[in-house]
Amino acid sequence: MRKTIPSLVVLLVAIASPLAAAPKNSCLTCHAELEGPQGEPAKKFPSDVHNQAGLGCADCHGGDPQDDSMTAMSPAKGFRGAPKKTAIPEFCGKCHSDSNYMRRFNPGLRTDQLSQYWTSVHGKRLRQGDAKVAACVDCHSVHDILAVTDTRAPVYPTNVATTCARCHADAAYMKGYNLPTNQPAQYAKSVHAHALAQGDTSAPTCSTCHGNHGAAPPGVSSVENVCGTCHVINQQLFEKSPHQAAFAKMGLPACVQCHSNHEIVPPTDAWVGVGSNATCIQCHAAGDKGYAAAQRIAGDLAKLETFYQRAEDVLNTAERSGMEVSTPRVELVSAHGDLIKARVEVHSFNPGEVQKFTDEGTDISQKAYQAGVVALRERDTRRKGLGVSLIFIVLAIGGLYLKIRQMESTPANRH
Amino acid sequence: MDPADRGQPEGAQPSRRWISLLLGSGVLASIASFLYPAIRYIIPPPLAESSSRSVVAAKVGDLKNNSGVVFKFGSEPGILVRLADGQYRAFTAVCTHLSCTVQYRADLREIWCPCHNGLYDLAGRNVSGPPPRPLQAYEVHIQGEDIVVSRSA
Repeated sequence: MRKTIPSLVVLLVAIASPLAAAPKNSCLTCHAELEGPQGEPAKKFPSDVHNQAGLGCADCHGGDPQDDSMTAMSPAKGFRGAPKKTAIPEFCGKCHSDSNYMRRFNPGLRTDQLSQYWTSVHGKRLRQGDAKVAACVDCHSVHDILAVTDTRAPVYPTNVATTCARCHADAAYMKGYNLPTNQPAQYAKSVHAHALAQGDTSAPTCSTCHGNHGAAPPGVSSVENVCGTCHVINQQLFEKSPHQAAFAKMGLPACVQCHSNHEIVPPTDAWVGVGSNATCIQCHAAGDKGYAAAQRIAGDLAKLETFYQRAEDVLNTAERSGMEVSTPRVELVSAHGDLIKARVEVHSFNPGEVQKFTDEGTDISQKAYQAGVVALRERDTRRKGLGVSLIFIVLAIGGLYLKIRQMESTPANRH
Repeated sequence: MDPADRGQPEGAQPSRRWISLLLGSGVLASIASFLYPAIRYIIPPPLAESSSRSVVAAKVGDLKNNSGVVFKFGSEPGILVRLADGQYRAFTAVCTHLSCTVQYRADLREIWCPCHNGLYDLAGRNVSGPPPRPLQAYEVHIQGEDIVVSRSA
């Protein structure tokens, strides 16, 4: 018994020690009992990334969490309370702009968000006293802030468009800003939104092109640079093309002129040429050099597409018929590559350069088509052979049947 | 011999010959149709053999360090890379963006898609440009002089 009591004491101390180590937080204790907006922070805060990092209410709001009375929230105890909307960036930036402080928690985290924010349209307007614009908490939330890497965070790549749309798709809220409110709906139809929805978190969302903390629309002259961060070859070709100087002179945004800005849908070959869906005829008319170039490029693309599709169809048929056509199938992959390269080369607006790829692809497609035709001919020969042999087999069976009957009907067999 | 002695009516002879002819030609044609596939098997057609599970991508010594080669894997191209330290890695050579054939860039030490400048690292991960997904990786085994690439189970 003497031995048991000290052991129990050690055990109780061991169990209680983590509880004893948890810092006292009278803010949470009191606010958890309150209803409405004053109780909400206490209910949300346990899931907040700051709480998980060991920070408490007082680290942002000041005051004394050891004090159970109302004096905990006195200016004498450093209480700052909730900041006004216009003071929020500096409030958060007090820690988030301090490299030495932030290194203690996340050495890899950037600390230039506040300086970036003041360059944004949001930041500039906030400084002018416009409290409707987005500040830190409007995008990151408050008291239940999640890490950017958390898939539930409003700033996680797949959630950014919805977060921006909370204001930018609200016509009533955006009234007076002279901005359209259909961008989120347009973006939702884009190839980028589709890629993001498919799980490609590197696909661009609002902040990829507009910036996040320094959010602002890219200027007309920087559109090609922004798109070119991913579409490098297209940008390089465009910059060498006669269109760059012409667009700059006319004040047209490079890529956006043909591809749109938010509703960037997958392009089709019909955009090139002089047909009713072609973008070229927005500027070019019959008789000018660009019109003729557009016609020629469209013709070459259509030719390769036709030859490629014809080869693909015949190889598919041969494959479905059980024929071995893997070699022309692999060769046809090169023709597909040529078709894609030709479509990219369109951004040079040089028919001769496009034709290099379309000619090569057409040649490969023709060879693959011929291989498919040979395979189908072989299939037909085999089918005919099978048919003929089946006829003879049936005849042999019939002959056997008759022979047996004949043998059975002879008098010698009858007796 | 009198046909009546053989117990057969006289008019039955042409019929019997016709049956024998039918039977004989049928048997011969059947034998031919049985032999044809066997002969075609022994003498295969001039088409490359297809293998969907594994393929000899190259011979040991074909690739120097920091180089790559595109090989035929079934109906698709694959890419075999020999890293700077001599290790081999293999992936599908079909870009996950728009299905162009990727190639190895010794200067970048990355796998590169020439269509849209997409880049994959040497683990097949999409690291730059439009590709949305990594390249599917294959297993590489050295069997004697052969570098055999297999699809993972």
